[in-house]
Amino acid sequence: MKIGIPRGLLYPKYHIFAKAFFKALGAELIISPATNKKILDEGVKLCADEACLPMKVFHGHVAWLRDRCDALFIPRFMSIEKNEHICPMFCGLIEMLKSNINGLPRVIDEPIYSFHRDKLFKWARRAAAGITSDRQRIKAAFDRAWDMQGRTSLGYRDEYDLKIALIGHAYNVFDEFVNMDIRKKLNKMGIGIVTGECVGKSDIEAQAAKLFKKPFWTFAKEYYGAALSIFKNSMADGMIYLSSFSCGIDSVVTELIKIELGDFPFMVLKLDEHTGEAGYNTRLEAFADMLKRRRAGFDNNLSQYGQCGICRTRSLPGA
Amino acid sequence: MGNVAFAARALCQGLEIPYVMPEKNNKGTLVTGAYYSPEEICLPFKIMMGNFLECIERGADTILFVGSCGPCRFGEYSELMMKILRKMEHDIDFIVFDMSPEIGIGEIRRRLGKVLERSPVSLARKLSAVKKAMKIQYLCDRLDRAAYLKAGYEARKGGCKRLLNEYKARLYECQSPEEALNILKLYVKKLASIEIDKSKKPIKIAIIGEIYTVIEPFSNLNIEEKLMDYGVSSERMLTPSWWVKDTALKPLKLNSLRVSRAAAKYLPYPVGGHCKECVGEAYLAGKKAMDGAIQILPMGCMPEIIAKSILPTIQKDTNLPVLTLIVDEVTGEAGFITRVEAFLDMLSSRRKKPDMAS
Ligand code: SF4
Ligand code: SF4
Repeated sequence: MKIGIPRGLLYPKYHIFAKAFFKALGAELIISPATNKKILDEGVKLCADEACLPMKVFHGHVAWLRDRCDALFIPRFMSIEKNEHICPMFCGLIEMLKSNINGLPRVIDEPIYSFHRDKLFKWARRAAAGITSDRQRIKAAFDRAWDMQGRTSLGYRDEYDLKIALIGHAYNVFDEFVNMDIRKKLNKMGIGIVTGECVGKSDIEAQAAKLFKKPFWTFAKEYYGAALSIFKNSMADGMIYLSSFSCGIDSVVTELIKIELGDFPFMVLKLDEHTGEAGYNTRLEAFADMLKRRRAGFDNNLSQYGQCGICRTRSLPGA
Repeated sequence: MGNVAFAARALCQGLEIPYVMPEKNNKGTLVTGAYYSPEEICLPFKIMMGNFLECIERGADTILFVGSCGPCRFGEYSELMMKILRKMEHDIDFIVFDMSPEIGIGEIRRRLGKVLERSPVSLARKLSAVKKAMKIQYLCDRLDRAAYLKAGYEARKGGCKRLLNEYKARLYECQSPEEALNILKLYVKKLASIEIDKSKKPIKIAIIGEIYTVIEPFSNLNIEEKLMDYGVSSERMLTPSWWVKDTALKPLKLNSLRVSRAAAKYLPYPVGGHCKECVGEAYLAGKKAMDGAIQILPMGCMPEIIAKSILPTIQKDTNLPVLTLIVDEVTGEAGFITRVEAFLDMLSSRRKKPDMAS
């Protein structure tokens, strides 16, 4: 049996596990290529206009795999942590795909409610149903996959003199096509990147706990917590938030972060299928220049005049 | 938020708590709200923000706010609103009600107490005030519903619409819950006596979509009233009293069974917001052989985008045409009307040629 895995959305977070698991079960794997123009265009064509870029990209990956495999592995994340939620788009993703793309093969879409080992194992048994019924084998495959995932870590932590924290969804931060290889661009300008993965879980929780009400979006909690930890512990000289255009979570989180950061350099880059590379580069360069000037001390009294024109195109009056 | 203001006011009157009545939503509300809100937040946030600021300007010092905990932005509203208001240096007491198990019943009681302690009246009167407010809400919803439905059948056009506007204007002026109830009862009767023409077979449309935008006429460019003008009957399930019932029954999982069942085929897992309702209603509307459905989608609303993606499948299965109208603060009235008119034309020509239905 040939199982297709789309290289989109949270793929960077689970691919090690998924690949090891299905391989050990004896399935053949086919993975869609890294996002490219063709995949994006296909996705844009298939998906509802109003949806965010990552959803469109994912549609493109699924379309690419459609005729190349016998079953598709698309995890249905319902929540990642207890009493928290994930973006609604994830919960409805499979239905959208089925409605938007004709002739999909079977989809392995067992819902995932938690990443606790026992719960996930139950999930694994259901997910393996169509492939093998050998329980020993499933157990062994699961253990192996769990182990391998546990040994990997995600995220960038560049050792540069000047560093920018890159905050945002994994599928924006790690998809080099979608973010136009922001890391390479910044590295070229002599700036390193750190990502939210450098912040420990307890720090994230501690920052998030300061919010009036516990955020119920796991994503919101993670990004907010990571951003504030990085800021408070001076782990970077500036911060870029890679947000998806029309993403409901980003629209709230960027705002919550912005309110806390004061005059710390902060820029939101919005990604969608119309984002032009030239304008994007200009903004990155301007931001990098500003960081360098700040470092050199030229900026010391500039910030007195109020908001930085680059990072806050629209600031709150009275701020 | 739609007709909720009337019930909320009656509640404050009954409890003898000073209140500020928000003005009817207008362009100004939205402009102010949008200015102080994050650019990409959904429309309901912007309008509410505008409401709050207007009320604060007129002396309100406490904001009562209902937050629900679903995987949709509504749950995150209060947090952000508080921060923005604080940033603007408004010293405002924010009382948030929400239904999440996280908070615990004790906290809900404490918050409820915070409201009630301001009221000088006895417990019995408090209870009766709550009851009256609910009754007002219920009657308002019933009146609206009947009027929108009847509009297609009325013998002399415009009667339903006139009654609707009249009762709202009178409620706006009225001074006590009792008076409000009397007005409502009067108008229920008045509406019942509007002459109808049974031979008419008006086009029937289901209004579906995100709850705030379908309830608040300003945010959907008054779609229901416009449909009345065209002599079209419309039906909408989502109302404030529906919401109260739904929220109350949710822990028992007894809420909106019919719709849930209808939606289950298309949406086996919960998504949040009111996506399930939207999909389920569309399906039921198709089964009832209504002529069409109009979905109201506030720009960037995630649950409704999912619904929108599923609607074509329902359209195929039940033969129900659906028009999706996207609303945000820059929605132009002219384009909006053109689209609605084109949709209605399509529906009536479809009727004449049933075989071309698909
Ligand atoms: S979190 Fe935002 S970017 Fe991610 S799927 Fe949801 S709406 Fe899209
Ligand atoms: S349902 Fe849609 S419009 Fe309502 S709060 Fe959620 S995202 Fe906003």
